Amino acid sequence: MVRYASPINPAVFPHLTMLLLGIGIFFTAWFFVYEVTSTKASRDLFKELLLSLVAALFSGFGILFLLLWVGIYV
Amino acid sequence: MPTEAEAQHANVRNKGIFNNMTGFSTLITVTVLLLAWLAGFASRLFAVIRFESIIHEFDPWFNYRSTAYMVQHGFYNFLNWFDERAWYPLGRIVGGTVYPGLMITSGTIHWILHTLNIPVHIRDICVFLAPVFSGLTAIATYLLTSELWSRGAGLFAACFIAIIPGYSSRSVAGSYDNEGIAIFALQFTYYLWLKSIKSGSVFWSICTALSYFYMVSAWGGYVFIINLIPLHVFVLLIMGRFSQRLFVSYTVFYIIGLLLSMQIPFVGFQPIRTSEHMAASGVFALLMAIGALKYLHSLNPKRQWKQLLILGGLVAAGTVFLAVVLLTYMGVIAPWSGRFYSLWDTGYAKIHIPIIASVSEHQPTTWSSFFFDLHVLVCTFPVGLWYCIKNVNDERVFVALYAISAVYFAGVMVRLMLTLTPVVCVLAGIAFSILLDLVLKEDEMQIAPVETEDSKNLYDKAGKLKKRTHEPAPVDSGLGMNVRSGTLIAFMILLMLFSVHCTWATSNAYSSPSIVLASYGNDGSRKILDDFREAYGWLSQNTAEDARIMSWWDYGYQIAGMGNRTTLVDNNTWNNSHIALVGKAMASNESAAYDIMTMLDVDYVLVIFGGAIGYSGDDINKFIWMVRIAEGEHPKDIHEADYFTERGEYRIDSEASKTMLNCLMYKLSYYRYDSGGSPAGYDRTRGSLPGNRGFQLTYLEEAYTTEHWLVRIYRVKKPDEFNRPRLPLSKRKIVTSNNLSKKTSKRRKGLIKNKPTLVKGKKVTKLE
Amino acid sequence: MIPAMAKIQFCVLFVLYIVIKCDSVNVDTISSDIKIKNVDRSIDISSQLVKITSKVTLENTGKVPVKTFLLAVEGTAKNNLAFIGAKDSSNKDLRLVETTVKGYDQVKFWRVELKDTINAGSTVVITTESVYTKALQPFPTAITQQEDQLVKYNGNLYFYSPYNVASQKTNVIINTKSVESFTKVKPFSQQDGTIVYGTYANIAPFSEKELNVHYKNNSPFLTVTRLERLIEVSHWGNIAVEEIIEIEHTGAKLKGPFSRYDYQQDHHSGPASVRSYKTLLPASASDVYYRDTNGNISTSNMKVKKDSVELDLRPRYPLFGGWRSHYTLGYNVPSYEYLYHSGNEYLLKMRAVDHVFDDMQIDELVTKVILPEGSTSIKVNFPFPVTRLPDSLHYTYLDTKGRPVISFTKKNVVENHIQDFQIRYTFPRLLMFQEPLLVVGFLYTLFLCVIIYVRLDFSIHKPEHPHKD
Repeated sequence: MVRYASPINPAVFPHLTMLLLGIGIFFTAWFFVYEVTSTKASRDLFKELLLSLVAALFSGFGILFLLLWVGIYV
Repeated sequence: MPTEAEAQHANVRNKGIFNNMTGFSTLITVTVLLLAWLAGFASRLFAVIRFESIIHEFDPWFNYRSTAYMVQHGFYNFLNWFDERAWYPLGRIVGGTVYPGLMITSGTIHWILHTLNIPVHIRDICVFLAPVFSGLTAIATYLLTSELWSRGAGLFAACFIAIIPGYSSRSVAGSYDNEGIAIFALQFTYYLWLKSIKSGSVFWSICTALSYFYMVSAWGGYVFIINLIPLHVFVLLIMGRFSQRLFVSYTVFYIIGLLLSMQIPFVGFQPIRTSEHMAASGVFALLMAIGALKYLHSLNPKRQWKQLLILGGLVAAGTVFLAVVLLTYMGVIAPWSGRFYSLWDTGYAKIHIPIIASVSEHQPTTWSSFFFDLHVLVCTFPVGLWYCIKNVNDERVFVALYAISAVYFAGVMVRLMLTLTPVVCVLAGIAFSILLDLVLKEDEMQIAPVETEDSKNLYDKAGKLKKRTHEPAPVDSGLGMNVRSGTLIAFMILLMLFSVHCTWATSNAYSSPSIVLASYGNDGSRKILDDFREAYGWLSQNTAEDARIMSWWDYGYQIAGMGNRTTLVDNNTWNNSHIALVGKAMASNESAAYDIMTMLDVDYVLVIFGGAIGYSGDDINKFIWMVRIAEGEHPKDIHEADYFTERGEYRIDSEASKTMLNCLMYKLSYYRYDSGGSPAGYDRTRGSLPGNRGFQLTYLEEAYTTEHWLVRIYRVKKPDEFNRPRLPLSKRKIVTSNNLSKKTSKRRKGLIKNKPTLVKGKKVTKLE
Repeated sequence: MIPAMAKIQFCVLFVLYIVIKCDSVNVDTISSDIKIKNVDRSIDISSQLVKITSKVTLENTGKVPVKTFLLAVEGTAKNNLAFIGAKDSSNKDLRLVETTVKGYDQVKFWRVELKDTINAGSTVVITTESVYTKALQPFPTAITQQEDQLVKYNGNLYFYSPYNVASQKTNVIINTKSVESFTKVKPFSQQDGTIVYGTYANIAPFSEKELNVHYKNNSPFLTVTRLERLIEVSHWGNIAVEEIIEIEHTGAKLKGPFSRYDYQQDHHSGPASVRSYKTLLPASASDVYYRDTNGNISTSNMKVKKDSVELDLRPRYPLFGGWRSHYTLGYNVPSYEYLYHSGNEYLLKMRAVDHVFDDMQIDELVTKVILPEGSTSIKVNFPFPVTRLPDSLHYTYLDTKGRPVISFTKKNVVENHIQDFQIRYTFPRLLMFQEPLLVVGFLYTLFLCVIIYVRLDFSIHKPEHPHKD
């Protein structure tokens, strides 16, 4: 039995949050701008799905580290 | 990405670029609104950062307590809640005497979060509700303004209302009060009303009614809506702007709104029984009459009909007015309430309802507070108003009426500044938008005329509004480059000053929780004076569960909320005579007060005394209002003049009047008070040495006093616990009735009167 | 570490087994071979607790080696007994088993199992320690603000034992000179702060003689009436501890008024009241909060020391006799201090109860341990007998099926109970991805809704110019 420490050093939570959430918000904005600007004919389902997946992945992990950073240890 | 989109659009339609620009303008709009939300939220957090996440002041404590009750016991139990902890021995039917919108809102949020397993405490939801709603208010204001003028103006208005002190004064974190959510409901209702009157669609009218319903459930200020919208309709009728759209939207709104508003238990049948709501019904009847006449007119469009129409309209108006007056006279409709009268006559409350006048936020507004709460906007909003009147249409009539009535009300009462603030933001947003249009558009025309179209689209949404907006533009085209850039810079500086002022005002004036005080030492170190919670914590832990606490009504909600004990009077000042009784007890001498206190079953008395730390909002300073309110109900026992010196001064030192020095409030405040610096016992709030010192209390004993003497709690002794005060010999005479003084030989022996004579072997029978 | 742990574990299991089964299963007899040569006893009643430490010299006068002997507690005192323990001469803890002896139903017995047998004719020195709560009665029961608190101790003058005691001596430590009265059985002597009784020779088994001391005791008489300790384990590297504490001053009640003036002017005023006390937290504790239902209690100080964090807690108001207070104290500690693992097997070793103040007494302790969501095959070891409460589930941020909660309760807890419990559980590490993926899934669903929404057309009839409002 060895002592158990966090898989990710708590000191880097803020940086991870900033980085991941930044990328996540960027992709979210891109996704929404795309949704608003594209018309019915010009829409590409694959691009939409890809954009939203990337946005969700980054924002999701960003939110998790945000929670950890502010002291909500999930 | 733009190139891609462009390429794709170009294939499909010519409007590809235009569409893309809509996308960007949407992005900018969304971003600005989100930032406004964020800024509004952040600027309201001063109190949380400086102190903690805590409910502020007085009324929010009741709202918090009832929200917590609702969350714990469910909505229906909340509606049926009879609170025996308040207004002892009367109690209070909370469900029927409260606007439940606030509690339902935070209860719903709490429920949703807990369904999602997010265990946020209800207190934190209550604390942060108002800041969150300020963002919604910003969005509603944006919608309203873009409906009135343009999206650019809307963005300006949204940014203004997000940070303006006039609104943030009521919606900082922790100030959990009706106004926090009601301003959102107000703005949103107005937006929907404009939308419905513009389109004449039943859908939007129903939305208006629903939003109005939310407003009714949230704040008593809904009366403002239900008078302003009929006023708008009435003015439109007078202006000859009757239309089918107006008819549809108002009738739908009125009927549905009326029915919905009557679903709130506290409102009940008021919308059809009181004068405050009669304007709406009158206008409804009038609109019906005019609609009927118009219909007849359309059947036979001849010339003489026109006169008949006007005549018929006038007759209808007169009939409606007379009917209302008659019904009021007959007592079917309740006349205007006192609070309403005080809106028209500022001196009314002072004479007739001292309890209203005693509240500082019911005082008339000073000029400086206009500037303090609105800053530069107070100077710019008339510009917007002027433009609205100049380019008048149905909606702009509305905003003009809104502005004029709100300015009047804000002048009457400090508190109603709140209703003025949104319209000021709307109109100032319009003014700034026009100004920037003038200054910036010309600039671009000279440099890059091709882009004008696009930049306009960035700012103003393309639509029929645009034409009106840009009409004045060519007039000012003669402005030189330097003038324009100079104006621009000047206004940017103004706006910057505005935001600095807003942050400063919110931080310094409106962000104190008032139950936690902070004092700053000479070295800048902060010391927290937590006496209120110390006292309430003591009450909640160390008194009997059903102990009854007597205090002035200001502290009723806090005692109930933090101390969890029964109070006699609280901030819901519905029973003036009960308050007057407490005031009388405070203003009487100890023995007279003891009689009142035993009558009311009082166990503890709580007074606020700021003399030791120089806290000015204490009970001695409020005392004169207690005397006035007590005198209103008990003119025989209490006289205001007795509490002043002969020269009419209100003082507490040795020159104070005898009544003052011996009243209960005085004694409870200064009992064994000998600290507070030199000389010992010096009152730092009043700046004088108390006149009556070293006295003893007979009927009460000190139960607890907080660290800085701010809250003093006394226990009322039970009748067997004290010795009656020593009577001077001269007064030690028993009042005897006449027949007793006739001493018969039998009585002289000192026999018990009516003593049954005992005969052996016989049952004792009662004599006489 | 491991063998010792295993031993403790075994011991605990055994004790638990006994407690759960039935007391009457254990029946011992009093061995006539054992004699007590000498007892050196000290009764410390200077705080609110009664702490009795006895150095017992045992002699085996029989012919057979002896492995165990019995400790007894008077029937009158057994309800106040919070803790009893024994150590051998090398200061190692000995195992105690609760037992009974026929014919002595009122008396409570413990069988002490020695590490090494006592051979015939040889002696061994054992130190026993017992702690009693609520054994000191304030007398008078109510005092005014200025008065000192006087308490009465009622005990046994002799060392209570099932064996014959050849010689014994008792020190009563009271730490004060002001003694109202005390039992005078010769030989005795009173020095400052202590009363010495003895030496008494040849006391028969189970002999009792009243020992009364009535003296001044202004030490804090604080009782934690209920302590709820929540331990929340997160595999993101944190263990959150929260203690909800209800506290009451159980000394002489305050009679008459409280005067702030006297309390402020005279620093000796309210000698029996409690202004503040110190709580020791683990050295790695961070993010400490101290609050009650009305919010943060601003009157506290924190000192970080080498081996602990010292909190100087001041309740909102000074506590006089009969006054109560309650608060919540919480802090975070990093997981590597208390959590061990090998592969997917985890072991949590934490204190079942922690320090609240010196010489504390806790009426009711409830400890709840919240393990990460998805922990399975949970096994628990306790250092002392407790009542295990039914397991439950706890729902918090990003939970779906709830986190398992292990809870147990114990009455009458003192400082000697600050010992580690152990929880073993299995947690697949991959489950840590469940929480972020939940958020990702939620967001992705939102985006999908948008994608679907833009493809829907809600209008009843097609407008001719779609761009005109």
